[in-house]
Amino acid sequence: MSSGGLGAAIIAARPAVVAALAARFRDLDLAEDGFADAAELAMRQFADAPPPANVGGWLHVAGRRRIIDRLRREARLAELIAGQPEAAGGEDMDIVQLFDEQIPDERLRLIFICCHPAIAPEARAALTLRVVCGVPTERIAAAFLLATPAMAQRLTRAKAKIREAGVPFETPPPHLWAERLHSVLATLEIGYALAFQDAAGSEPTADLGPEVLRLTDMLADLLPDDPEVLGLAALVQLAEARRWARVDGAGRMIPLSEQDCGLWNDGLIASAARLMRRAAAIGRSGPYQLMAAIHLTHARRKSEGQTDWAAILKLYDLLSLLRPGPVTAINRAVALSKVEGAEAGLAALEALGSDKLASYRPWYAARGHLLAQTGDREGAAAAYRTALTLNPARAERLFLEARLRGTSA
Amino acid sequence: MMQYMLMIHEDESVYAGPEGEKLLAETLAAHMALGEALVAAGISYSGERLKPASTATTIRWNRGEHQIHDGAFSESHEELGGFYIIDVANLDEALQWAKRIPIPRGALEIRPVWPMSGPDA
Repeated sequence: MSSGGLGAAIIAARPAVVAALAARFRDLDLAEDGFADAAELAMRQFADAPPPANVGGWLHVAGRRRIIDRLRREARLAELIAGQPEAAGGEDMDIVQLFDEQIPDERLRLIFICCHPAIAPEARAALTLRVVCGVPTERIAAAFLLATPAMAQRLTRAKAKIREAGVPFETPPPHLWAERLHSVLATLEIGYALAFQDAAGSEPTADLGPEVLRLTDMLADLLPDDPEVLGLAALVQLAEARRWARVDGAGRMIPLSEQDCGLWNDGLIASAARLMRRAAAIGRSGPYQLMAAIHLTHARRKSEGQTDWAAILKLYDLLSLLRPGPVTAINRAVALSKVEGAEAGLAALEALGSDKLASYRPWYAARGHLLAQTGDREGAAAAYRTALTLNPARAERLFLEARLRGTSA
Repeated sequence: MMQYMLMIHEDESVYAGPEGEKLLAETLAAHMALGEALVAAGISYSGERLKPASTATTIRWNRGEHQIHDGAFSESHEELGGFYIIDVANLDEALQWAKRIPIPRGALEIRPVWPMSGPDA
């Protein structure tokens, strides 16, 4: 294995190792520091030597030993050591002999801890990306449009809350399961929204897509019988499948219906379709499954050559019932325009009320698009101009500017 | 085990009038039932109901100087109306009990009690 291969193996092992250390020592900082120490040790130890076959097991043992060393040194935490179960001689053996120890799988516990509803939603999302995936604080800060010190402080506060408020280091009992899982899904959805808003993904430093994909795949792996968990994983896979088609060479956003589907990832689309079949077989629908179904219907353009807008409209009708909101309503209006014409779509947008959505950029962007289709160039231009005043991210701004130029062409 | 203070911030005005009296009776009965449930679950707890905020007196300090005011410290419509202190394993258990506290209108704040013998004491 090259050092690059070792690096990748260390990154892949991180969630399991940090989770096992956090579950054992009941402290997120200790777990993160222990993992970092172990990773550094591995990079040094195996720079010129063949790496261990079980990198995760090696890191877990090394991290645990480093943490115990650290605890021994810190008198302040002496009672934590007393609380540790006696290791059966293993701790004093040479690390090299412990390659193949199985890591207890505590990843689900770690996710539940980081996504506890007592932590503010955005802080939960940041903490999960940091602790479970090891995303550097600078990148998380960039995605949240925060300065790095502000994000570091938010992470520190969230960890302190977990420690001081007594957030349990256990997977929740059955009677709390629904509330806690809802909190996990809502947290990962924030990550999804950050990573895959078609415009947001265009800033290379902030692109969290692969990390969010890793998290939702992990959750689907750990909770294979929850249809909404599978639905969210499918949704993220479908979004990730479009990664290379989302912006053009100039960094301009390309809307889903105009993307070159030759650039979409077939493997991810097929995997999402499999997840959704499994979810459907469980027989309990929900918003994530519906959103994934909408994205999958769009993805079928690749194999079928056209988009089944009638099916998409029906799915948006269902989604508006389960999860009403401006985004759903605006997307539904656009789908309606594809089925019944631009006038019908515009009427649906009007019915939402421009007074309530007076500063909502997607409403103006959709309105501009539909007005342009009816031939009302001036109206379209005005709507695009308003949208441009409402702080679009760079990729979307370039897109809206192009559309605005189109109205005078 | 950890101790948590469950602070009942409620809108006292809901207990005004004849309807309010009925609501108060129901709320107090629910508090009694909750106390019995805590005992039945073997959870050690304490708690008190406070007289209305109109009976409150506040001493406000500023650099060694103090002033005495009539009224509660908080300016909001929701006043501290009572509290429980419960001894449970973790925040999830505290939340579970906190959800059973009857509050017709208002909010409940859950705060861990600083452990007197803890490492940071």
